[in-house]
Amino acid sequence: MMEMISEVGAIFMRWNKKLVRQPILIFFNLIQPLVWFLLFTQAFSAIGNIPTFQLLTGTSSYITFFTAAVIIQTIASSALNAGIGLVNDFDSGFMDKMRVAPINKSSILFGRLFSSALTTVVQVAIILVIGLALGVNIASGILGVIVIFVLAALFGIAWSGISLFVALNTKNAETTLSVGLLTTFPLLFLSASVMPTGLLPSWVQQVAKVNPFTYIAEAFQSLIIKGFVWTNIQNALIAILIVGVLSLGASILLFRRKIS
Amino acid sequence: MEENIVTVEDLHKTYGKDVLAVDGITFTVKKGEIFGFLGPNGAGKSTTIKILTTLLEKSSGKVTIDELDVDDDQAKVRRIIGYSSQEVGVDDDLTARENLLLQCSFHHIPKEKAKAKVEELLKTVRLAEAADRRLRTFSGGMRKRLDLASALVSEPKILFLDEPTTGLDPQSRQDIWEYIVRLNRQGMTIFLTTQYMEEADRLAGRLCIVDQGKIVAEGTPNELKAQIGADKITLHFKADDFSSCDKAKELMSKLPGIQEVGQCRDGLVSENGLTIMTKNGSSMVTQVVRAMDSAGINVEQLTLSAPTLDEVFLKLTGKTLNVVERKEAVGARGRRRR
Repeated sequence: MMEMISEVGAIFMRWNKKLVRQPILIFFNLIQPLVWFLLFTQAFSAIGNIPTFQLLTGTSSYITFFTAAVIIQTIASSALNAGIGLVNDFDSGFMDKMRVAPINKSSILFGRLFSSALTTVVQVAIILVIGLALGVNIASGILGVIVIFVLAALFGIAWSGISLFVALNTKNAETTLSVGLLTTFPLLFLSASVMPTGLLPSWVQQVAKVNPFTYIAEAFQSLIIKGFVWTNIQNALIAILIVGVLSLGASILLFRRKIS
Repeated sequence: MEENIVTVEDLHKTYGKDVLAVDGITFTVKKGEIFGFLGPNGAGKSTTIKILTTLLEKSSGKVTIDELDVDDDQAKVRRIIGYSSQEVGVDDDLTARENLLLQCSFHHIPKEKAKAKVEELLKTVRLAEAADRRLRTFSGGMRKRLDLASALVSEPKILFLDEPTTGLDPQSRQDIWEYIVRLNRQGMTIFLTTQYMEEADRLAGRLCIVDQGKIVAEGTPNELKAQIGADKITLHFKADDFSSCDKAKELMSKLPGIQEVGQCRDGLVSENGLTIMTKNGSSMVTQVVRAMDSAGINVEQLTLSAPTLDEVFLKLTGKTLNVVERKEAVGARGRRRR
């Protein structure tokens, strides 16, 4: 166990160093969420005037409501990189170097996931700072921000599992990237991220109910707009747990089989 | 008493349903020797080395490293081997020192001990001055030297090198060769694959020549060359002087002591030449020259050469080993092309 902790630590630090040395990567993932944050919320700001919207969300500022969607987009986009980093390791021969070493194979995945989670937190912090500058007020205060970070890190790890799974199956960066991009957008629009559930068409409501993004979004939205709504945080944690167990379980099994 | 450190019995590896990469290979590597696996691309060299280093599952056969089975004792095998892949598995975003320290942590070497070891290894591979530079700025030769060092942090009993000098410039190649020889003198067993006959000839105490997943010959470089049993005399004629070449060929085939006369009008020897295989080449040269002289045939150039492993390969497989060097194999970033 001690050995595994030090292995995970070494691999975690490796990825952190890599990232710090190419800081552009931190911003690369932020470009799209930022464009949305700045443009989407301007074009759709009138949504905030709809009485039903105000009633359902508790705010008349669409940008405040939409902050949650931007955070989720950031998490999803950062999660993509977890798999791509792994593909690069396969290509460069570094993976073989780690495989011939007497280390626990799961350490390779966990070191990567934790570093990816740290990146996510940094990116979410940047988004929140920009949000504050744009007039978004976080009702739950500093404690709420910490809860947002924790949820973002956990959901980041769980969602990364999907990108790891695709990466291990295809060993191809392009496929991993496009699978990630193609799933993020539909899931975002088929959830309560961009519009409160009550304003969604009924078939979308049905889909949103089984879409993990909905529960993460609702937790973020309540922390930003209202304060601590424990049922929402609890639901988010359950969603993260389900996604995490499935995606990470599948990735670890596949990884062990592929590189035993 | 010489002990075997590697035993391979009737090894097979099939990819998918019908791609037979390794087709029944049997050999042993003795403790303390440099053992070479010489063959062209696609001969099954990398597949074999990957099975020996536990990276790839075999289809059938038995492989042991230091009496440990590669399947049953995988974890133990990994503790006693070092491996340097063709792709050069180092991290380009890290410095040389960081790469080695990372490798140390993979082998659970305590921090203080690791630091000292890394210093020592950096000196040995002459990278002490570049230790804190990121690998992005390294040449192919430097990356390869670092990769070799990183395979050594665990003080392995046996070192596996997959095409250690492919794509390197002559000076870097020379460096790597010297380093390999030095390691071997210190008692390390080395298993290496190569597509360069010169490399196998220089380094390997014993070697296997492999082609299409099979071992076609095994022995010391000298034993293998002795199989050819002949020196080679090459005669070159003026490019358009085919009649001289034809006359010389007729003359040579009558000369006693000559085993084989081959005529070449393609790119293999020259535009227009003869190759003569003979025992005792040096004394034959005078006879050949005399015969040419008295027949009045104009010879442009005459060379006498001892047999090379390339000729052994040619004789055994009907193909030539002379590979065009793949310059792109170890590029600045060492990425495998897809």
